[in-house]
Amino acid sequence: MSLIFPPWLQRVNDAPLELLPTLPYASVEKAPCQGIAVQATDLSASARPDGHLAFEQATFEIPCGCRAALIGPNGSGKSTVLRVLAGLIKPRLGKVQVLGSPPALGRSRVAYLSQRPTFTENFPLQLRRLVQMGTYAHHGWFEECHHGNQGVDRALDLMGLTDLADRPVHTLSGGQLQRGLLARATVQGAEILLLDEPFAALDQASRDIVEKFLFDQGHAFTVIMATHDPADSRRFDRILEIKNGAITTSHSCAGHGPHHHA
Amino acid sequence: MLEVIREPLTEAFFVRALWAVVLGGLTCACLGAYVVLRRMAFVSTALTHSILPGVVGAMLLGISPYLGALAAALLTAAGAAWLSARKGTSEDSAIGVMLSVMFAAGIAMMQLAHSWRDFTGLLFGSVVSVGPQDIAIIAVTAFVVLASLRILHKEMELASFDEEYARLLGAKPALLRAILLGLVALGAVACVRLVGALLTTALFVIPAALGVLLGRTLPQVMGWAVACALLGGIGGLYLSYYLAWMPSGAAIVLCCALPYLAARIFTPRR
Repeated sequence: MSLIFPPWLQRVNDAPLELLPTLPYASVEKAPCQGIAVQATDLSASARPDGHLAFEQATFEIPCGCRAALIGPNGSGKSTVLRVLAGLIKPRLGKVQVLGSPPALGRSRVAYLSQRPTFTENFPLQLRRLVQMGTYAHHGWFEECHHGNQGVDRALDLMGLTDLADRPVHTLSGGQLQRGLLARATVQGAEILLLDEPFAALDQASRDIVEKFLFDQGHAFTVIMATHDPADSRRFDRILEIKNGAITTSHSCAGHGPHHHA
Repeated sequence: MLEVIREPLTEAFFVRALWAVVLGGLTCACLGAYVVLRRMAFVSTALTHSILPGVVGAMLLGISPYLGALAAALLTAAGAAWLSARKGTSEDSAIGVMLSVMFAAGIAMMQLAHSWRDFTGLLFGSVVSVGPQDIAIIAVTAFVVLASLRILHKEMELASFDEEYARLLGAKPALLRAILLGLVALGAVACVRLVGALLTTALFVIPAALGVLLGRTLPQVMGWAVACALLGGIGGLYLSYYLAWMPSGAAIVLCCALPYLAARIFTPRR
């Protein structure tokens, strides 16, 4: 049983907001990704502000449209690299550019999925609303989302979640949630996906859907993924290996993946 | 039967109390949804208890008790944030320290004022004695709180559910948390007349706890919480009207708890 607000109350609810100015959270970025997506020069960073350095003086670059894997043993700093690129951690030393400017919070063009999402437990939120949160990147303060629902439906469909759209988020399995978060990143319109071990919680069916999405969509976006499954590496254009605080780049099997000639 | 409902409505004090309960219940229930979902029940207790030194201090200084109460609640929130900013003090214990220090200061100041009896209404509520000016203050507070929650609905929901994503989008969850604490302080100060400083937490927590049991989305949680608060508030007023020995504040809280208990018994376990 649930209480639904009557339509007239909904209209009263919605009306005044249209009179308010919309202040975007994020700086508006329009130029499409061209050339280099991520460029790091002599980059050093640590997971915590006062912790030891996870990697030092790393220099690497990732071109636009590239599928890059970050590999290395547990605790080697894969997550730290992703969190620096997302703007969640400030680098200690060195320079890093994401789409031509330093990483910062509030950038709609960069999406980050952590290894374990830290949601508030038992929060009453349906999957559709979770995916809709991706549109907030384009709405900004004060504005309720009236439009963008088509994009939400398309993203749910793409991830095979249409039937689950009304399910509370806390009843979803790990794999369903992971797909929901990818759908949210799609709705956000991110050009760079920073994924921290996205396959860890997935069964084969979920994994097929996610792999199809990540690897068979032409070069619409750049993927940078932390993983430690060697079976994955065949599919990537570029492998960044973190070992003992150093990052080395290797170009693996260029031309083997199905998407390279697209 | 209708006479039972209509008779108290001929009394001006009862109608004023009814307005106070409806407006205050609406405010506290909507805020309470966030308090419960974000597990802020303890900090809301601290804010409501710190109203005591605020009001007593304001009386000693001769300023408006509402201003004093608001200042004390904001001092508690800021103090807890400052104490827990250092390593080694958890937010939980910082709130506990502020809560007990403020309440002890209030008790000390009450002795200084030499008039315990004046403060029973402050501690236990005195909704039947609200005047037109109190109603106006409660109404303005209700408007400010509800309008803020409406305008910031999507941001508050996002920051309460997924703080990291809120940060990534640039929606400033720390600022939103501070705003929410400020709104809770405002709501608590306005509602202290209904059930008293000791029980105001109940208005935040009990209706919203019912809402969380029955609602599947945040607006539904708020809707159920509002229904529970109105039912409990109005029911409690009638109860204390007909039972001469029943204090109004206690009656309101008990009547709020009944629907929650019923829902708790009859909803299936997760």
